[in-house]
Amino acid sequence: MIQVNAVGDPCPIPVVKTKNAIRELGGPGVVETTVDNEIAVRNLQKMARQLGCESKAEKTGESRFLVTITVTETAQTPAPTAEESCLVQPGKEKNTVVVIASDQMGMGSAELGKTLMKGFLYALGQQESLPRTILFYNGGASLSCEGSPALEDLKSLEAQGVEILTCGTCLNFYGLSEKLQVGEVTNMYSIVEKMTQADCIVKP
Amino acid sequence: MLRKTLSLIITFDATVQAMAAESCLQALGLPGRLIPVPREITAGCGLAWKAPPEAQERLRAALENANIPASGYHVLMV
Repeated sequence: MIQVNAVGDPCPIPVVKTKNAIRELGGPGVVETTVDNEIAVRNLQKMARQLGCESKAEKTGESRFLVTITVTETAQTPAPTAEESCLVQPGKEKNTVVVIASDQMGMGSAELGKTLMKGFLYALGQQESLPRTILFYNGGASLSCEGSPALEDLKSLEAQGVEILTCGTCLNFYGLSEKLQVGEVTNMYSIVEKMTQADCIVKP
Repeated sequence: MLRKTLSLIITFDATVQAMAAESCLQALGLPGRLIPVPREITAGCGLAWKAPPEAQERLRAALENANIPASGYHVLMV
């Protein structure tokens, strides 16, 4: 077994190091690579799949993931000259910002609107491609606070790397400043910046 | 990364029934939550109750007791 430490390495270094280790094995065996982000995990697993190797990933701590690649008899040996590229690049993914301006989705029945918003935030967390940021303001600010029915979903989104920002002016206005349960407090400058720099804004 | 678990999905014919089920089951402290119906299921309205499969009998009894008709009980990876 070969252990590879790729903590702190930018893409595509973790893939390069792991490929070198697989070549070093010279046949069946196991390579264990430690990385510090999920993008690297996805890149390593994609690479393993392409070579016909089995892989498994586990979170071993705060910003620590262990990817175990099992090289079998039938697996291909990575070509030494192959150019490396990031299969999954965070920077190249579309910068999607979701804007939650109310605790209801759409207009009409308030009761239905709240149910739909809960459903929206649940389904958002089930997507293959997640937004980079979710902004909460005005009536939406209560959704990131104590007592919100969406907390579980928002915490899971945050754990998957989504930035969750709630308007501080709004928290103050609604008396929720001490009740924020997920993400960070933000201000209007950041809200404007996030929205103007977005490739796509989703507003349910 | 998303971790799917084997779940019980209870579907309803009408949205109001799904919402009534949510108030009823939450008031009784029964496990689960309302979610949009997973794509794998085409039956029912757009909302479903998701819960651990082992809670099925308790949930079924509670819904029958409250006269809230469910259109289906499905167990799948969600």
